[in-house]
Amino acid sequence: MFLCLCQFIFAQQLPVLLNQVVVSDSQLKNFTNSKSKLVLNDSIIENNQASLTSLLNFNSVVYFKENGLGMVSSPSFRGTTAQQTAVIWNGININSQLNGQTDFNTISTRNFNSITVQAGGSSAIYGSSAIGGSIHLNNDLKFNDLFQNDLQLNYGSFNTLGINYNLKIANKKLSSQFGYSRNSSDNDYLYLKKFDWKGNQLKNLNGEFANTNFNADFGYKFNDKNLIKFHSQYSVSDRNLSLITPSDSKTKYINTFNRSLVDYLGDFKGFSLNFKTAFLFENYKYFDDIDYNFFSEGSSESLISKLDFGFSPTKSLKINSVFDYNRTKGFGSSFGNNVREISSIGLFAKHELTKKWNNEFVIRKEITNNYVSPILFSIGSIYNFNSFYSLKVNGSRNFRIPSFNDLYWENGGNLNLKPESSYQVEIGNVFKYRKINLSQTFYYIKIDDLIRWIPGNDGNWSPINTKKVNTYGSETILNSDFKIGQNNLNWNATYAYTISRNLENDKQLFYVPFNKLTTSIAYSIKKIAINYQFLYNGFVFTRSDNNPKEIIKAYKISNIAIDYDFKFLEQFKIGFQVANILNQKYQSVEDRPLPGRNFNVFMNLKF
Amino acid sequence: MKIFRLILLLFFSISLTISCSDDDEIEVAGYFENGIFILNEGSQGQGTVSFISNDYQEFTNDAYTNANPGDLMGKYVQSMFFDGDNIYIISGGSQKINVVNRKTFKLVAKIETGLKNPRYGVVKNGKAYVTNANSYSFTNPTTGNTDDYVVVINLSNNTIENTIQLNATADKLVLDNDKIFIIDAINSNKILVLNTNSNSLETPINIGSGANSLEISNGFLYVLKSSNSSNSQLIKIDLSNNNFSVLDFPSSLDGAKNLDIYKNKIYFTVNNSVYVMNIAATLPPETSILEYNSTSGYAMYGFAVNNDRIFTADGGDFSENSTANIYSLTGTFQRTINVGVGPNGFYFN
Repeated sequence: MFLCLCQFIFAQQLPVLLNQVVVSDSQLKNFTNSKSKLVLNDSIIENNQASLTSLLNFNSVVYFKENGLGMVSSPSFRGTTAQQTAVIWNGININSQLNGQTDFNTISTRNFNSITVQAGGSSAIYGSSAIGGSIHLNNDLKFNDLFQNDLQLNYGSFNTLGINYNLKIANKKLSSQFGYSRNSSDNDYLYLKKFDWKGNQLKNLNGEFANTNFNADFGYKFNDKNLIKFHSQYSVSDRNLSLITPSDSKTKYINTFNRSLVDYLGDFKGFSLNFKTAFLFENYKYFDDIDYNFFSEGSSESLISKLDFGFSPTKSLKINSVFDYNRTKGFGSSFGNNVREISSIGLFAKHELTKKWNNEFVIRKEITNNYVSPILFSIGSIYNFNSFYSLKVNGSRNFRIPSFNDLYWENGGNLNLKPESSYQVEIGNVFKYRKINLSQTFYYIKIDDLIRWIPGNDGNWSPINTKKVNTYGSETILNSDFKIGQNNLNWNATYAYTISRNLENDKQLFYVPFNKLTTSIAYSIKKIAINYQFLYNGFVFTRSDNNPKEIIKAYKISNIAIDYDFKFLEQFKIGFQVANILNQKYQSVEDRPLPGRNFNVFMNLKF
Repeated sequence: MKIFRLILLLFFSISLTISCSDDDEIEVAGYFENGIFILNEGSQGQGTVSFISNDYQEFTNDAYTNANPGDLMGKYVQSMFFDGDNIYIISGGSQKINVVNRKTFKLVAKIETGLKNPRYGVVKNGKAYVTNANSYSFTNPTTGNTDDYVVVINLSNNTIENTIQLNATADKLVLDNDKIFIIDAINSNKILVLNTNSNSLETPINIGSGANSLEISNGFLYVLKSSNSSNSQLIKIDLSNNNFSVLDFPSSLDGAKNLDIYKNKIYFTVNNSVYVMNIAATLPPETSILEYNSTSGYAMYGFAVNNDRIFTADGGDFSENSTANIYSLTGTFQRTINVGVGPNGFYFN
């Protein structure tokens, strides 16, 4: 119930709009099943801290580098770089156009109904950056009679305060959701066992942050065949950036995002029509000294339109042709004012060859004068041998296009960059027995033309296509549910073994751990629930030459939470959480200590 | 200029990183007494100080961390200066000066208030004069080029006792008796003159823009200038009356920097080459005495001539350790040493 290891088997194809739940991203459901996928549903989102970093760090194979709690956070998925994980909001790629990546601490998880961790490349569907994998943030809409308020409050160490409110109102024709969340902290935790040269205890300075998020989502069914949806989100992440040494300049970083999406779905006899238009806005302001009110800034505005025409020539074959157009304007202090236009044409197909054997096929080509665009594809196959074993195979070509910074940064931007290019294959074994799911995936990724900034001949830093990396490894994901009488036990685990070789020097890429393991156990009896989480992150090198003295040591972090449901209203839970119960001294980036044992009380109301 | 990278690096997350390795703990007394410090400014991470003894027999790549385990020296370490038993290490990115013992490198004090992007310092009568670049015009167009200042630090208690506003920019500086000459580095055309008796500015010397390095010899102040828009020049200022003469360089010497006067010869660098001329020469040199291969846009990031040797440091790519080379005075290669990230200067103990 917490996690479900999804292996959708598309046997019977009901008309989409007859379902009570309309998923926000139908392509995720339809064309990515031959790859490993992990869905984190609303109850696991509720049981974790509000940042996307924390949720994924404790529940997925994705590895994170965090510049101190709540500060800039970047992922590495399957040993790839931060720009090679795509974040997809209701089907739309929202990685920054300016730097090509998503800062996972700018995203609050609370207002999403589900978050899907899709491993492996899916650039053919989702575009740039979907190389190591993609993270899908979904606001799915329910069409049944519903009036539900959901209020979560939490308060804890370092004056950390969270207010998260969700309202869902729906009937069979109309569905709506409103969300508000604000998570803030003074974030002045002590650096465990760290002292200045005079012996004074060190603590996190200038680390305060506040993340605020609003969202509104509507869906209206005209009839069984026509549906229109509207999603919008506005968020502001206002953070001071932690100091490394107390005399450092105090800096500040404000990120603002505004996203809107209109989505029409028509499902007719023999064919379907989907038209989406999205508008994305992002802005950052960087104050290099908060004593002064000076800042540098950058913004981008993107208009994205997608037309998807689907038809089924036979009962077992579904074909979609997809056209899209993307126009992005980037402007700011250091990279002028530039426009990039990208169009693309794609063909998606899935075929149920036999009851047991399903195939997926996606091919897409972008048309732009901005870069040389490769033909992107993904081919996959799923064979269900029997009710407890199925085999998945997938091969794909993926890319990461140059960002606005890469192209247009003043005194350095390089207009001749090629996209980072990647081929990958994966084989997945999926076992299912009663409510126990186990998947084991092996993958191999070859990445060429990695974009890297180096100091050029004129003394200006400039990006060039240089490195080649081969990354391979295995991922194991387990989830299980047991119910004995009134006892409910849920056990989840993930384990990733990753080799990521820089072919220039045949060394492991720095900041990629060989081993990462997560596990969680949730136990409930009657009104009491206990939740235990554990993270083991193996050591990482911090230098490209793999100098054994320059590493981040492995860390083992445990969190425990207990709550009691007073069964007043629909739900009235009061609980208590202890994070890092063993008071481990650890950091994920050098000189950036993370907090020791800390406490949090929470109250979750549903009515 | 490192400041521009500060902003840029923010956007790379942590895909770039620094490099340095700490060697064995130094416990031998007097280890640092006869040798050369190489200052590595660092990049994403902290700066480091490498040390090599004059006879090349002893080497350590991170003297500061070895002597002060657990303490962080700071980011963008710009320069250091000496006084008595102490070395003053200026961390421009961390707004501080670490004061360490000259023989042991152990911390003596930290000066952590009153500094804003500190750059270079000189000492006069137990007082250090340190330039502070304060804010920069790319974030503060209004006063970024006019808000730099000099702090006067009483070295007996390591506190700032005076702050002198310059209404200009400030960078390298040299001392001559009771006068300090300061390069007004950005957007300017002058050398500032600061009187150490009155702690006030005197009439500046208008030598034109683009000064990058300076040194005093026999009553003359030599200043090397280069800019994108004009040929390099060597300015020779008579300090008895502040009159100056100009030696124009040909375009083949565009970008000349790192002026260093040693034994009546003027050494300087152009790209990855070293040139030398007699101090009295009336024509610029035509050929270099040495050059080395560099893939970095920051070749000759550090440079010095001393102890009858020429020292060059390559900026490298600022993501891993870089190298320094040592040559004879005639340019014969002697050896390469592996140093830290972004080596920017040599200091002789």
